[in-house]
Amino acid sequence: MTRHYEMVYIFDSAMEEAQVNEHLERFHALLTTPEKPEPVTSVSHWGKRQLAYAIGGKEIGYYVVTQFEAPAAQLPEYERAIKLDDSVLRHLLVLNEGEAPRAPRTSDDDDDGGPDREEND
Amino acid sequence: MRRRAKTCPVCESGVRVLDFKDERALSRFTTERGKILPARLSGMCARHQRQLATAIKRSRYLALMPYVRGAGR
Repeated sequence: MTRHYEMVYIFDSAMEEAQVNEHLERFHALLTTPEKPEPVTSVSHWGKRQLAYAIGGKEIGYYVVTQFEAPAAQLPEYERAIKLDDSVLRHLLVLNEGEAPRAPRTSDDDDDGGPDREEND
Repeated sequence: MRRRAKTCPVCESGVRVLDFKDERALSRFTTERGKILPARLSGMCARHQRQLATAIKRSRYLALMPYVRGAGR
């Protein structure tokens, strides 16, 4: 059984977009299963932005938000790889239940016609 | 005299789920020091107040919002 997840990465701001993509590719390879050759439904680069507080002495981070669909059994290995990667300052993996994958918004408004977008975690 | 019933600002705007990535919308519901406003002040319904707390905590973890605004300055 697969579930929808949302992942936010904060990379070291010293990295360029190409390097970030390289790392992302490596992580996403760990999510790929024979039944689901294309697990990642959306990748959104926020780019460099100021951190609200310093993380490991760094004031700026490179944010990437991705959404993917994967079986839970794939996740421990995936997260382990991310934790071991020194270029990822921080990451957050959350369930993205009931929400259809779509382009992330940058504006404040969020109109929604869907019947159910409950988040149960 | 009865006080007028407060209405939840999130229900009113038609949003179903609060997004932890939208720190500008969330910061409306924090004090100037960055504490989460109680439902008594935010006027939120219980469901949205719970979502708000989770969303702000996630947002803080990702350094989108400060744990303490104005700390260390």
